[in-house]
Parts: sequence; C-alpha cells; structure tokens
Amino acid sequence: MHRSPTLVLLAALGAATAVPRLSAAGSDDLVFEIRAQDGRFEPSELVVPANQPFTVHVTSAEKTAIEFESFELHRERVVQPGATITVLMPALGPGTYKFFDDFHHDTPEGAIVVK
Amino acid sequence: MAVGRRTTLTVAVLAAAFAAVQCIRVAPSNPAPRGDLVAPPEVKVPLRRACFDCHSNETTWPWYSKVAPLSWVMARDVNRGRQRLNFSEWADYASDPETLKHKLDQIVESITRGDMAPWYYGVLHSDAQLNPHQRELIIHWATQEASSISP
Repeated sequence: MHRSPTLVLLAALGAATAVPRLSAAGSDDLVFEIRAQDGRFEPSELVVPANQPFTVHVTSAEKTAIEFESFELHRERVVQPGATITVLMPALGPGTYKFFDDFHHDTPEGAIVVK
Repeated sequence: MAVGRRTTLTVAVLAAAFAAVQCIRVAPSNPAPRGDLVAPPEVKVPLRRACFDCHSNETTWPWYSKVAPLSWVMARDVNRGRQRLNFSEWADYASDPETLKHKLDQIVESITRGDMAPWYYGVLHSDAQLNPHQRELIIHWATQEASSISP
C-alpha cells in the first residue's frame, strides 16, 4: 500500500508529540538571584516571565545552613553558610509560588511571582 | 434518677455535636499524577502499598475518611504527606536533580530511622509496615539513585 510521504511525516510528528515529556527546567538566559541574610530573603518577591524555564541562584549569608523549599515548586535544597546553589525551574504558568526556609520557620516566606 | 438523666443528656449532646461536625466536610481528592515514580517493581510495589496513601495522588480514602473528625485528621495528614514527598509528582523533583537527590536521601533517612509510617497510621493499616527485606531493597535503590546524580 502506497502512503504519501507527507502523511507519513505528519503521523511521525503526531506520534512524537504524543509521547509524554518531562518539562525542561533551568536556563542560562534567565537567571535570578535570591539571598538569605539576617533572617529574611532578599528579594522576598521575585518576578519572572511566564512560560519560560529559568534558573535561580540562592546564596546564604546566614551563619547556619538554610533550606530553600517550596511545596508548590517541588524544590527542596539545603544551602550551607556562604554557599550559592543553582535551582533549576521549569516554565511556569502565571501565579504566585511561595518559598520558605524550612530550617528557620521565623524567616518570612518569599514568593516567585510569574507574570 | 438524676444520674441517669445526666447520662442521657450527655449522650444527646455528644450525638448532636457529632452530627453537627459532619457539616464541616473536607473533600478527599486525588489529583491527576504529574509524573509517576520510576523504580523497579520490587521497590515500587512495597512503596505503593506502604506509602502511597499519604505520599501520592493515589490515596485510598477509606469509609472513615468521610466521617468527621477522622476525615479532618486524614485530610491533614495526606495534605502534609503530599507536600513533603509526592511520588505522583516525581518528574517535578527530577527536573531539578539536586532536589531529587535530596528527596532520595530523605527516603533513606526516614526508612533507616523507622519513623514512617506514623504509629497511629500503622494501627489501622498493618500493611503499611515494610519488612526488613523491603526496607533494605528500598534503601539500596534510593542510595544508588542518589549516587548516580552528579553534583
């Protein structure tokens, strides 16, 4: 049976896009900084563009380790004093995604605001 | 007679309170999985049986999950469990490999210490207990997975 090359190509394309994929996270082009210092996050609100993967560098200037955590973003990372970690983030829909220091619950929560 | 009347009144008040709290409902929910755990069957099967009720979106909600105040306790525990570790959102953790490594390390710590499942959950779910062989398999798997993630 003869099949048109265009139909075969379209079928292959359809099959490829039907395969579930993990969303890529992190970007070298969109990089943001968060600093933990004196019991708070700076900035406490980070505004990022929607639908684009991005990267957040989290630096701790605290005297003890902190845990950068977000239930909504599914991120949980320990940051040692004086260290900087790289957190890869996927493309996110518009909204507010809270984060907190799970080792110091008196540290005010921060938020990543996606617009 | 006075004692009997007091007992009746107490039971009536308790029954009324029990009926009243049934109006405060929590809706059990199982959101669609966003990227299920990838693990060999000898690891996934016991994890599913022992942990998935609180740590996945595949919670089996028993009859008492519809009866307050037990429904409140169960909804709270499932919510907290999913926040801390959700096997149905494994792909989200995997999109930041260091977060995934952290979760795997926590699984090893938790199983090694034997602090999961909570004692009161074990009372109602004897199948939530992992036997020593299953614990060993899961610890081995999680350790191997964590060590394969390069810093």
